[in-house]
Amino acid sequence: MDRKDNQSPQGETARILVEFLEVAITSIVFLKGVYPSGAFERRRYMNLVVQRARHPQLRDYIHSAVFGLLPFIQKGMVERAAVIFFNTDGIPVERFVFKLAVNQSYGSKVEHADLEFSLRSFLIKLSVSESLTKVLPRDYRWEITAYFRSLPEASANKDVEQWIPTDTRQWEQPPLLTPIKSMSSEPLCVQLYIEHPSLSEPKP
Amino acid sequence: MSMESTRSANSAKRSFNNNSNSASSNSNSNPSNKKKKTSQKTLGVAWGSNSRSSSRSSFSNSPFSNFGSYMVEKNRKLQNQFEAEASTSSHGGLGSVKPIFDGVSIFVDGFTVPSSQELRGYMLKHGGRFENYFSRRRVTHIICSNLPDSKIKNLRSFSRGLPVVKPTWILESVSANKLLSWVPYQLDQLANNQPKLSAFFTLKRSSVSNGASTHAPCQVNPEAEDSSLKVGTSGDTYFSEVSKRFEHSKQISGESDDLVDENSNASLVEEPANSSGKPCEVAMAVPSNIDTEDESSVKNYLQSNHYQPSALVSGNCINNQNMKGSPSSTVSEPSNQSHSTLGDPNFVENYFKNSRLHFIGTWRNRYRKRFRTLSDGFNCTSSNIKASALKTAIMHVDMLSSGTILNYEISLLLYAIQTTGKELLKFHLQTTLLEIMAGMFVRDAKALCPHLVIFPYNFEAYEEVADQFYSVLHKHGNKVQAVSCDEAFLDVTDSEGDPQLLASKIRREIFETTGCTASAGIAGNMLMARLATRTAKPDGQCYIPPERVDDYLSQLPIKALPGIGYVLEEKLKKQNVRTCGQLRMISKDSLQKDFGLKTGEMLWNYSRGVDNRLVGLIQESKSVGAEVNWGVRFKDVKDAQNFLSNLCKEVSLRLQGCGVEGRTFTLKIKKRRKDAEEPTKYMGHGDCENLSHSTTVPVATDDVEVLQRITKQLFGSFHLDVKEIRGVGLQVSRLESTENSKQGLERNSLKSWLTSASARTEELCKNNYVAKESSNQGCEGEGDETLVQLCGNSVGLSIQMDSNTYNGAACLNEVSVPPPLCHLDMGVLKSLPPELFSELNEIYGGKLVDFVAKNKGKTENMNHTLRAYSHEKIEGAMKEGQAALLSSMVFQNEIPVENKAKQHIAKEVPAVSGAESFVPASGLMKTDLIPSSLSQVDTAVLQQLPEELKVDIFEHLPAHRMQVFSPNVLLYPTEIPLEALGTKTAENNSGSKDFVLDNNLWVGIPPQWVEKFKVSNCLILNILAEMYYKSGSTGNLSPILQCISSVSIHQLDAFQDGWDEAMYILCELLKQYIKLKIELDIEEIYVCFRLLRRFAMKSEFFIQVYNIVSPYLQALVGENYGGNLHMSLKD
Repeated sequence: MDRKDNQSPQGETARILVEFLEVAITSIVFLKGVYPSGAFERRRYMNLVVQRARHPQLRDYIHSAVFGLLPFIQKGMVERAAVIFFNTDGIPVERFVFKLAVNQSYGSKVEHADLEFSLRSFLIKLSVSESLTKVLPRDYRWEITAYFRSLPEASANKDVEQWIPTDTRQWEQPPLLTPIKSMSSEPLCVQLYIEHPSLSEPKP
Repeated sequence: MSMESTRSANSAKRSFNNNSNSASSNSNSNPSNKKKKTSQKTLGVAWGSNSRSSSRSSFSNSPFSNFGSYMVEKNRKLQNQFEAEASTSSHGGLGSVKPIFDGVSIFVDGFTVPSSQELRGYMLKHGGRFENYFSRRRVTHIICSNLPDSKIKNLRSFSRGLPVVKPTWILESVSANKLLSWVPYQLDQLANNQPKLSAFFTLKRSSVSNGASTHAPCQVNPEAEDSSLKVGTSGDTYFSEVSKRFEHSKQISGESDDLVDENSNASLVEEPANSSGKPCEVAMAVPSNIDTEDESSVKNYLQSNHYQPSALVSGNCINNQNMKGSPSSTVSEPSNQSHSTLGDPNFVENYFKNSRLHFIGTWRNRYRKRFRTLSDGFNCTSSNIKASALKTAIMHVDMLSSGTILNYEISLLLYAIQTTGKELLKFHLQTTLLEIMAGMFVRDAKALCPHLVIFPYNFEAYEEVADQFYSVLHKHGNKVQAVSCDEAFLDVTDSEGDPQLLASKIRREIFETTGCTASAGIAGNMLMARLATRTAKPDGQCYIPPERVDDYLSQLPIKALPGIGYVLEEKLKKQNVRTCGQLRMISKDSLQKDFGLKTGEMLWNYSRGVDNRLVGLIQESKSVGAEVNWGVRFKDVKDAQNFLSNLCKEVSLRLQGCGVEGRTFTLKIKKRRKDAEEPTKYMGHGDCENLSHSTTVPVATDDVEVLQRITKQLFGSFHLDVKEIRGVGLQVSRLESTENSKQGLERNSLKSWLTSASARTEELCKNNYVAKESSNQGCEGEGDETLVQLCGNSVGLSIQMDSNTYNGAACLNEVSVPPPLCHLDMGVLKSLPPELFSELNEIYGGKLVDFVAKNKGKTENMNHTLRAYSHEKIEGAMKEGQAALLSSMVFQNEIPVENKAKQHIAKEVPAVSGAESFVPASGLMKTDLIPSSLSQVDTAVLQQLPEELKVDIFEHLPAHRMQVFSPNVLLYPTEIPLEALGTKTAENNSGSKDFVLDNNLWVGIPPQWVEKFKVSNCLILNILAEMYYKSGSTGNLSPILQCISSVSIHQLDAFQDGWDEAMYILCELLKQYIKLKIELDIEEIYVCFRLLRRFAMKSEFFIQVYNIVSPYLQALVGENYGGNLHMSLKD
């Protein structure tokens, strides 16, 4: 409680957002069937049944990656956070992109319930959008990537050092987008969409 | 099967656990533990007998023999868990207080807000149970926010007759810190079939509770009440004897220790324990039979009173035992009954006749009627005063010295005091005595002064004095706010002289006219004035200047502040706040946190002497009603019905008295709480649940019979045991003044008559308008073009104004070609050459003739001006006028017709295209109509045009088109006398363009396009606008499109006219929408475009729209998201 009280609205929003991202990313990983379903357990979040990774390493990866974003989200530096599935050549096959926008100047108190209500709709929609996704190739991997508006200076913050430039290759053609869910509720705007390689993308 | 037996065992265990949790019964904890063990034992037995296929050993080795046994074990574990948590989380310190949800066991079904986990937390904390699995036995309430249809239909099998309640019930119970009735929180979906349902519940439950409550006095009271402890067993026997005969005498007998005198009815008067010293609280409830007694009986009574003084003073216990021992006590019971609804058929009437509160309440209405003009006049000025309220002076005048009892005149005597047979009528002595007794229960007063006589009120005299009082006040200031019949505020800011002098003058006059003393307080606002009066009492006056406010308040006990009653005072005392000075220490925030927003603010303000209320704000009453909460005891349903119909009579009388009728009727019932003890106040309502039902009827009424019918219905919907009812109130709201409603009726009928005729009238008006416009023009002999434009404008105007008639004219839509008849200019029509007229007539399917004929008959006047017009008009101008109208029609025509008409016009009138130049202005439709239509214009016609017109046309032509007409351009002389006109049309054009091009189509609620589309003459746009409202006016496009897809996809192409315009506007609409949403809500856009694509598969129109907009969309998406929207064609 104390922690909440002395935080700015941005901090509070960012905290909720990060928590949400952790759950949402886990849901995506579960949805794509990266790991056997036994690797997950049912949990309740925002009054919804969600999945949570049981394997400590997987859980830690998602958790640390997402919570590593927290200071940057607070500053409004993170533009997008993506879960990228790519094949052995490092060419992405499917990307789940969260486009984030936190209103930095929003001063008043964040309505917890409103925010939760909006965010919950993501998780609901996500759980039924398997048909929108592609079947992944056999040997694929995945990673969490964040896109910054500007690269933070490494010296300024220790958190930055946890992040490394990604090796994943980019598509040559603009991808095809399939929006899944958008929400815009002050001070937070989140959009989730899937990116697939465009049809004219040269096949490897 | 196996589950149930264990369940009962478990539940037994549970209840004992609760006991041991509550610290009060420490001695109980041992037995309860023992019981626990035994219940465990039975558990084991139950297991053994029930696990059919397996032996006990297999059970103990935990591989479960079947699912049933597994579930049993699981439930048991869950319960153990729950109990373990409950014992840690429930507040054990407050053990003596029964936890709120004691005995409540909830089962949460489906999604709820707050979540089931939170609800579980509440139950943990407040002594309830939470069941993970539904069971008829253990669960007492089902909590859910929403039920699927199937469960609603099969509610019985779903809920097993248990109440289905919304989660707010729990929340509000927690915040109220007591278990609220679940009835108001029943699931909304069930509201319809509720009667049946709750009938079932209540019958079942009340029988149980009845049983419980009849035994309750015997078992519970000895522990709880000292007095009844003493009389222990005898009380029990007494109860059992009496209560059999008088179901409700248990209330009375429970209170018997309070009864002052068993033998005499006259003294059985009770008072609310209102220690706040509110004025005139004494003797509110004069028993009904007192008015049957005359003055002389008082003396008898006094004598009879003599033989019990000792008993009265000595205390309750003796009294109690007296009563129980003597047979006379049972005899006395029936006589008591007459105070209640039992036994007195005219109870309601008498009740109100004798109720002082009622008198005061209704007095206000009387006052308002009497002084209406005065206070109205004031209301006007009050707003002016408000601005200049720099140094206000408010006077509070309270007529009664103690604020309690008016007793100067013998007729007003409420209490007379007799000491040793000698009557003391000395004013001051009485006052002092009465001040002591003010606000006491009569029984207490009697205890102090055994010779107290209680007189019924003399309301007539009271009324008279009140009227005199107010006429004095009104004489001295027109800003008077009546608080009650003997208390008022005056705003004396703008009266000359020292307010203190004025106050003494007023007081003197009051004394002279009424013979009563009055106190006055003067200060800067109403609060302080009232407080000043408090100091001034009795019979004095006090002035608190602004600079002294702080001093005055700092030592003032908080209780003196209005609005602080017993409860609030106690709460504040807990925080160690006793004076306003201490109250000031607390911040506003924490006050608001503790006491709620309003109360907190009030406390904060009042403790600083801040009060922003204005004197004289008499609110119009929002509701009229009557409520009886005293003496209500029903024996059976018939009693209750009788009572209700009397109550209705009373309410109806009140409504008529106020001159209003109401539409919403609310029946409020006070129902004795299940475990409520006897009220301290004799025949009072005690601890009650408040229930209310209301209904709204379409037509306001004050009719007794309607009221009775409605009330009966409402009462039926409660499904209560009438014996449990302790108070009934009927309130009528949504008041309409009687006169108004009568006028309203007339107006309505007039309106309906009007609307039926409105179409015709509108037509007439419009024709008049257009014709006059043009005739004026003609008279002035202005240039042709001005005329053209004016006609055009007015036509455009009428199009905008009258989309309804336009849409409504189905016959015209069938033809779907020409503008509606009502837009036709009669003047023009009449002066049309016969051939043209007949052709037009053809287009209109022969209706034109009728139309003209109709108009001929109807608008003599207009025809007259028209004739004048046509006479004075120059030939050329007339032709222009015709052309204008025709072309405006033509442009809404389908293309073949258009061409045909055009050719025709080209033959007849050489000025067609001249008229065309105004089309954009009049149609307000689309600017790029010009090039397309001009391309269709015959160059031959164009060449014959007057030069001025040509200039105009070419001004509107895009540059590349100019070349086509270059030969013509050479033809016309370069003098441009009509530049002004040209710019005018240009302005018009840009105006119509503006609405499309400035990104404001989506501005506003409803967005601007809705209005524009509504008045448009394109079917598809009309549909869009219509769908906007149908889809719930969300401001999002996707629901609108969804509506369209469900309704009219097949007829999307059914329109022909204005295809291009419609497309252009629709594209613009979409583009603006994309721009609006692209950054924040790509999902919405995506949904819209998938819908559009679906439309495109069926509609030519939407294919084009889609093809135009989608490149734009993709470009924007690329810009913002670095990709393209995936619009697969799979589905």
